Amino acid sequence: MKQASLLLALAASALLVGCVQIQAPDKPIEINLNVNIKQEVVLTLKKDAEDLVNNNPELFPQ
Amino acid sequence: MMLSHKNLTLAGAAVLVIGAAGIAFAQSAGAISAALSGGEVGEQADGYLGFRSKPSGELRGEVDAINIKRREAYTKLATQRGVTVKDVAATVGCETLQKRVTTGRSYLLTDGEWRTKDEDPIVLPAYCGQ
Repeated sequence: MKQASLLLALAASALLVGCVQIQAPDKPIEINLNVNIKQEVVLTLKKDAEDLVNNNPELFPQ
Repeated sequence: MMLSHKNLTLAGAAVLVIGAAGIAFAQSAGAISAALSGGEVGEQADGYLGFRSKPSGELRGEVDAINIKRREAYTKLATQRGVTVKDVAATVGCETLQKRVTTGRSYLLTDGEWRTKDEDPIVLPAYCGQ
């Protein structure tokens, strides 16, 4: 009886080891999306930002 | 056709006021420039000026005034382009970090750590591109 349960436990752990564990990522997916969108926005705004800095020296003291 | 005495006095007062404002502006620009060269004030990745060390009340007021004007300008551009103020501010941050911060000056990246610019280019946040 003891042996049987030991065998069962062994079999169960063997099964567990055999399991492929897939874990959903905690958050990276959303963060990556945010960064991508931002990068795109930054790219489209780059020229405007450049002009803003160059045309308003009183706001950007050196 | 002589200007009345009163008019002359008014004109004189106006000249004085404008002159005083000009001097005040030049002084504040000077104080901020000095704080920038000294590293107490620096550009931040978020598009605003910040303090690396505790500023005097006067310097804080002047930097705050610039930041308020910056936010006005960012808001205007953001409305025109249909993006958030934060997007505009962050893009300006990329620009100032890349071109305005010269060697020896302080700058703040998104990790919240103040650094001093050396001869190497600043490693910009990923969203700045390139």
